[in-house]
Amino acid sequence: MIQIHTAKGEKASYFNEREHQICLMARLIEDGKTYWVAGGGSPMASILLAKKLYAPNAVYVTEDGVLAPEPVLPFDPIMTMVSSRAGYRALQWGTMNSIGFHAQMGYMDYGILNTLQVDPYGNINSTLLGDYESGEFRRFGGPGGADSIASLCWRTILMTDHQKRKFVPRVDFISSPGFLDGSEGARERAGLPRGTGPYLVLTPWALFDYEDRYLRLIGISPFVTLEQVLAEMSFRPKMADQLLTLETPTEEELTLLRTEIDPRGQVTITGDIGRWIMRREDGSFGPADEVEAQGGDPNLPRSW
Amino acid sequence: MARELEVLAEGQGEYHRVDPDGFREWVRDHKQRAMVPKLMSAKEAVERFVQDGDYIVYECNYIQRGPAALIREIIRQGKKDLWVGAKFTWVDVALLVEAGCASKLDVGFFLFGPVVDRAVKEGRVKIYEYSNVVMTNRIKAGAMGLPFIPVRSFGGTDGFKYSGAKLIKDPYTGQPITIVPALNPDVALIHVHQADIYGNARVFGTGISDVESALASRKVIISTEEIVDTEEIRNNPGITAIPYYCVDAVVHLPFGAYPGEMAGRYASDVEHVVEVVGATMRGFVRQYLDKWVYSAQDHFEMLDKLVGWRKLQEMVQRATIKEGYLP
Repeated sequence: MIQIHTAKGEKASYFNEREHQICLMARLIEDGKTYWVAGGGSPMASILLAKKLYAPNAVYVTEDGVLAPEPVLPFDPIMTMVSSRAGYRALQWGTMNSIGFHAQMGYMDYGILNTLQVDPYGNINSTLLGDYESGEFRRFGGPGGADSIASLCWRTILMTDHQKRKFVPRVDFISSPGFLDGSEGARERAGLPRGTGPYLVLTPWALFDYEDRYLRLIGISPFVTLEQVLAEMSFRPKMADQLLTLETPTEEELTLLRTEIDPRGQVTITGDIGRWIMRREDGSFGPADEVEAQGGDPNLPRSW
Repeated sequence: MARELEVLAEGQGEYHRVDPDGFREWVRDHKQRAMVPKLMSAKEAVERFVQDGDYIVYECNYIQRGPAALIREIIRQGKKDLWVGAKFTWVDVALLVEAGCASKLDVGFFLFGPVVDRAVKEGRVKIYEYSNVVMTNRIKAGAMGLPFIPVRSFGGTDGFKYSGAKLIKDPYTGQPITIVPALNPDVALIHVHQADIYGNARVFGTGISDVESALASRKVIISTEEIVDTEEIRNNPGITAIPYYCVDAVVHLPFGAYPGEMAGRYASDVEHVVEVVGATMRGFVRQYLDKWVYSAQDHFEMLDKLVGWRKLQEMVQRATIKEGYLP
């Protein structure tokens, strides 16, 4: 059973979907465990928030060999790894080889990654959209360190947006391995370490785990319906018997995120942050434009 | 009794020649055992040690402690058909491709954009797929004098199919294991904090695989922020990252990582970084090269004419974190 930290204090009345996802991810971080996080973006914001509120003894490493840093925030644009601010007060400065070998020996409990596409078996595509062989594709950077994170950490957690084009029956290119064809032992047959693999997928709308190496829906956010969640997926996931309701952010979480972790809004304001979500008079949540069209609640303090 | 090793699957990607004995012979015949001064200009170092068709490695260029000035010199000299080991790289691949310098890429990660896209689709550039860590593992194997290295990642991916990897049955455990070819690049470009004139070099802070690259490469060009006396090196031998006999050229290039950061010495030029990322993403790399590379004869003229003392001072002042970056 998945452990989720309980957020204390007042619920925020106004937030965007990216902020919601990061706060959820922070509550999933297990204290006292090691995390290999993708540089910058939502994964790193999540672990930084978790360390402040829920998991002070969680340790993270980055691809450039930085082990357990206490970074100086905010980062300069693009400088989320290998910079002096990102690596500040680490316990060790190693190299990509050293961190890769640590993970290969089993020291990394979790990996947290973003992805372009994910399939029901947790395979990850960060290379291209389209067909590799024919040359008809739109190319992105490549796996970077993600392949090693997804291969070598004991459990891999994915953060992605909840969109039909992201949840596909087959990824266009397996940049980083999930359960491959989904058969038992497929990873081991490909030479990957025993007992590793995809663990969770978290979107702003929903939380998934895996049952028999196939994606299973286990929770949804209170501002979307089950129908909406399923409509934005190109395949049908397995379903848990009971769906969790994913709690929205607290004021305390958002304040830390907005003032200390990402004060420039590089992760939570610019780029694709999803919709703004607002609390209704009855305490339920909905997209801000809909809530406002319905009259909203003018007495509510806004978090932003 | 000889038994054939069982190959379960193999990638179809071309890979850089694997020849550990050839590398040893290169070391025997070309690497200077005597302490001889190797100080020279960037122009001379690139003319002498980078040939058309070479396989080159570097890292973190335009981010932190990258050999940015050396790469600009390669572009100025119009080197051709370079094979780039693009592990933990960023905009530099687009610069090299637009300048007509690169024709093959082993990709871990780089910033893609219209320039590389067009070159790939027109067949001017070929891409082979790896990951950052597999690339650094390959260089590690090269730095150990071995022909290949087993890795516990990369198996089962589509990248595997377009790489030089093979899946074999491990003769010790009987389990499947991925092996990747060792990489002994022709040229390593490495920017460091301090070096003496013989090439004993110090690197402070984090990195990717600079030390392995220095050991694994046939020709090694070090650019350094500061030249220190060999006595200084001998006073603290535990922090020598790269020993002199790997090194072929030492180039004194203050602000050699510009516009990237040099941890402990200067922060990045944020405006410049944003400009070059924008140029890469939108395909205005030619304009970028005209403005920042071709318009200056060398690194120092670029700093004088295009960057200026005021900007450099501001970058130095913003480098407030010193812990760990001083001997």
